[in-house]
Amino acid sequence: MKIEGSHTLQSARDSVFAALTDPNVLQKCIPGCEELEKTGDNQYKARLSAGVGTIKAVFTATVFMEEVRPPSHYKLVVEGKAQPGFVKGTGSLDLEEQDGGTLIKYTGEVNVGGMLASVGQRMLQATASMLAGRFFSALAAETKAKAIG
Amino acid sequence: MIPAQFDYIAAKSLDDALSLLAKHKDDAKLLAGGHSLIPAMKLRLMQPGVLIDISKIKDLSYIREEGGHVRIGALTTHYQIESSDLLRRICPLLPETATHLGDVQVRNRGTIGGSLAHADPAADWPAAILALDAELVVAGGKGERVIKAEDFFVELLTTALKPGEILREIRFAVPKGKVGQSYAKFRHPASGFAVVGVAVSLTKDGSGKCQSAGVGVTGVSAKPYKAKGVENALKGSALDGKSLSAAAAHAADGVEANADLFASAEYRKHLAEAYTRRALDAAVSRAGK
Amino acid sequence: MAEKYVGKSVKRTEDPRLIQGLAHYVDDIKLPDTAHAAFLRSIYAHAHIKSLDVGAARRAPGVLAVFTGLEASGAIGPVPCAAALPGLKVPDYRVLATNKVCFVGQPIAVVVAENKYAARDAVDLIQVEYEELPVVLNEEKAAQGGPVIHEKFGTNIAYTLTAGEGDIEAALKSADKIVKQKILHRRLAPVAMEPRGVLARYYPGEQELTLWTSTQIPHLARTQIAIMLGMPENKLRLIAPEVGGGFGSKLNVYAEEALMGWISMELDRPVKWIETRRENMQATIHGRGQTGYIEVGCKKDGTITGLRYNVYADMGAYFQLLTPAIPTLTGLMLSGCYKIPAIQMNATGVFTNKVATDAYRGAGRPEATYVVERAMDLVAAELGLDAVAVRRKNFPAPFGGDKPFKTATGLFYDSGDYELTLKKALDMANYPKLREDQKRARNEGRIVGIGVSTYVEICAIGPSAAAPAGGWESATVRIEPTAKVTILTGCSPHGQGQETSFAQLAGDHLGVNINDVTVIHGDTAIVQYGIGTFGSRGTAVGGTAVYMALEKLNEKATKLAAHILEAGSAPVTFQDGKFSAQVKGENKSITIQEVALAAHLARNLPPDMEPGLSATSFFEPKNFTFPFGSHIAVVEIDRDTGEIHFQRYIAVDDCGKVINPLLVHGQVHGGIVQAIGQALYEEVVYDDQGQLVSGTLMDYAVPRAEMVPWMELDRTETPSPVNPMGVKGVGEAGTIGATPAVVSAVIDALSPFGVRHMDMPIKPEDVWRIINKKSAGAA
Repeated sequence: MKIEGSHTLQSARDSVFAALTDPNVLQKCIPGCEELEKTGDNQYKARLSAGVGTIKAVFTATVFMEEVRPPSHYKLVVEGKAQPGFVKGTGSLDLEEQDGGTLIKYTGEVNVGGMLASVGQRMLQATASMLAGRFFSALAAETKAKAIG
Repeated sequence: MIPAQFDYIAAKSLDDALSLLAKHKDDAKLLAGGHSLIPAMKLRLMQPGVLIDISKIKDLSYIREEGGHVRIGALTTHYQIESSDLLRRICPLLPETATHLGDVQVRNRGTIGGSLAHADPAADWPAAILALDAELVVAGGKGERVIKAEDFFVELLTTALKPGEILREIRFAVPKGKVGQSYAKFRHPASGFAVVGVAVSLTKDGSGKCQSAGVGVTGVSAKPYKAKGVENALKGSALDGKSLSAAAAHAADGVEANADLFASAEYRKHLAEAYTRRALDAAVSRAGK
Repeated sequence: MAEKYVGKSVKRTEDPRLIQGLAHYVDDIKLPDTAHAAFLRSIYAHAHIKSLDVGAARRAPGVLAVFTGLEASGAIGPVPCAAALPGLKVPDYRVLATNKVCFVGQPIAVVVAENKYAARDAVDLIQVEYEELPVVLNEEKAAQGGPVIHEKFGTNIAYTLTAGEGDIEAALKSADKIVKQKILHRRLAPVAMEPRGVLARYYPGEQELTLWTSTQIPHLARTQIAIMLGMPENKLRLIAPEVGGGFGSKLNVYAEEALMGWISMELDRPVKWIETRRENMQATIHGRGQTGYIEVGCKKDGTITGLRYNVYADMGAYFQLLTPAIPTLTGLMLSGCYKIPAIQMNATGVFTNKVATDAYRGAGRPEATYVVERAMDLVAAELGLDAVAVRRKNFPAPFGGDKPFKTATGLFYDSGDYELTLKKALDMANYPKLREDQKRARNEGRIVGIGVSTYVEICAIGPSAAAPAGGWESATVRIEPTAKVTILTGCSPHGQGQETSFAQLAGDHLGVNINDVTVIHGDTAIVQYGIGTFGSRGTAVGGTAVYMALEKLNEKATKLAAHILEAGSAPVTFQDGKFSAQVKGENKSITIQEVALAAHLARNLPPDMEPGLSATSFFEPKNFTFPFGSHIAVVEIDRDTGEIHFQRYIAVDDCGKVINPLLVHGQVHGGIVQAIGQALYEEVVYDDQGQLVSGTLMDYAVPRAEMVPWMELDRTETPSPVNPMGVKGVGEAGTIGATPAVVSAVIDALSPFGVRHMDMPIKPEDVWRIINKKSAGAA
């Protein structure tokens, strides 16, 4: 399933990009991310407690950063496995300067497998867009906090 | 289709349920009618450690008219609402909505409170309680609080209920005057859930103009919503074909619509408008009497 | 023989137990000490299994054993495919995956535990490490290259096949117009109300294995499973108890059936597995699944000169029992009920990363009928002719008796009068008035459509030469000492109602009350070998065997009656259960019950007569039968939302001689409902990773009562010359005749918008986009 959208952040592009590639920030932004441990260049191991409402699952995940081209582009790849199935998400993020702030355009692909795919179809798109929304609101808060701090 | 292991406790009273919930916290789920919870557990999408069965609490199942308000206990079943003579008389929107909900077996077991607390984005009740500007009475460890229907649905499958709280009652002012109500629904051919569902409760003034209007929409987006654009356009309007069409055009204003195998976001938005118009037509015709 | 029962709407004798919940399906059979099985299935469409760790599952409480492909696939032979085609590439389909999985839902391991709860819990403890492989999903693209599913073949093409007769090139060249259309037959899930289920019990002393399994083919399954397990066939007793629907999905031999048998021998305990609905959607066969290209040549007057159908048939990753053979049935029926001088089908069977396709109600024939009927509509639209007129133009003259109708697909249709059903249906509908009403409605801005289909189907499968494993059927009829009648039939009814219709036959033949007749089926230890119930063969083949056995029995009973009555050379008549003769001027008679008792007591038999009153017959049909009919659908479309509403539905079916009109109506009703499902609602959807995303009944829309129109049904009776009763079969008629009628009605409604074809299922949004001239997929 394809997802796309855009978010505007009030912070400058350089600081947004820095935040996006900072594992400490990422951990706070990736919805439900409880642990993020570096395992290699641009590669992390994560524990995610993700879900919607009361439907939650604990995913063990790998997080990759690819196509890292500061300060305008990178690709985030998350592959998670949990008891009810697996999730693979890729998101290409393009950052543009906009009135002192930053416009982030993202396009991506979300694939789910197992139980999640066979029973979650009805809410998949809404879930993906909700999780993307959470990611960017958290990012906005983080970059804002950074700028103030 | 076998759930993971869980413990089961039948709560004896609301206070008992609250203290059990306080004790077991996140590990517990409340069991009312179970018609959303049990299927999710059988698929193992939910694996609560403890089920606190509140369905045996007697004083949470009622439909009353008191002091100009209708009060409905959270454990009232869909069927009890569907067959309530009181509601058929003073708020037919609710019995009408109930007839659209699931099937006979579901309506016999499922409860209005359970459905609202589960907050399925395509459930029927949210549209109706949004149209009625209902209030939800919530019991918690520190007493009760009241949440407006429009504040209750936060996002996909998520309500404003905090951990440890239990939805106790749904209440709303008895609609007065020349009341017209309707629920129009496009049923998903497989699930029976609302691809789009629109509930309308409006009143006419002496000259036949719209005095008040409540419009609730379900199925269209990740959470049910009050179609304020429609409501605002209706107020004071002549309720003729032209004004109804103009109002219905606002049905999906500012809404990020769902897409699934059956209907795209674009089509859903269109259906929201079309079914709003249908619900308005029916409500207006009923308000004449 | 007086027809007291035959031809009458006798209520189903099966129904009281079904309606009261007293029937015994596999899961209702409880044996002490039964262990329960649960499967771990692949969540990937295509992957190597890098590692499989069942240690924690084996140690889990209540778990008796966990078996993987390594153990089971060494002990159990491959899942069988009975279809034989030249050059067919048959993949090695093991009961549990060994090192690779090729579709979502493929079984990898099976947990056996003291109860079903412990078994299910332990499945979650199995750790699998997958290495994902690229997937191929679209049958047309998979044929052209891309990742190969079965490396040893080096291709995803399982076979190619050209069928048909006549010079197709010349036929198309001689046409005034050639109409072309790409056409999709999407995958459908059979969704029998009872999912699959198996209970196995082994008796080590006797070395006998009993399998209760929800199947349409108890004897064929016994043979195949015995081969898979390497055990003597006569040490395997297979019982199909009450079977809650099959629709072809249980015309099969599944991995789980053999596995349960093997596990019960390994553990020396009864073991049960009941499929969940989700497993049913993922791992029970699907139907249809074709991408085809129609080329039809016609003269200006509507005469069809030739038809070519190039088709990519989606096999799935492996073959089940008849997977590759289904498209051959499509090829056979491409002439429809028309004279088409040249027909060619070029079929390519293609492996994809999905569960196997196989027979689903109609099995290849609905595809053919849909192709031909769409072709007729397309020709009519191209030439500006009425779709009914084009059909009539190409009908053959009525035929039958010793003059069959030969098609360019190599078939000899037994009997038919296609104008008969068409005229009756058009009269019932008042077709000219329908068209006038449509014109008026269009002037009012309404969107109304009329769809007509005329179909012929191939039933009573079939002559053994044309069947993969015998096309005959068997019956034994005996009269017990107490004069009760027992019928043992080799076919295996599972909802069709033959316990009733066969009892009707016996009732009339033997002059007994049908309540005194018991029809036994489905138990290989009781019933003589038979083929099973599928392909609308139960009555035409199985019923004929019963008829023949009854005739034999009557003959013997008459002989014995004459002997007892001392009739000598005087003629013995039989009426209302009584044999009578004029003996020395005296009218003497004896009831069949008395004759039956005399046959068993055997004190006074003619010298050359064996005791008992029992007869067995095997019926080998010389040809298929070809029922036909006409369906008319009238729909109105909501201009605002694209929703499709039925206004009328008319069907006139001719299935030859009718034994029980109530059963025929029931079959037609159910068939039409499934056809409406295919036309408007049902579609198995895999996403681009091969995940089944229509995997529950929340997403996969089987029609409900409210989605189905009132059906105006009638029939004509054109007897078949192929069997003595003249019966043809009706089990699949509805799914074959109705789908094109419904689609045609929607397309007819939308024709003012320039529409000539739409692919199924036609959803409201598709319709809305046409009305509003919106391109698909625009967000």
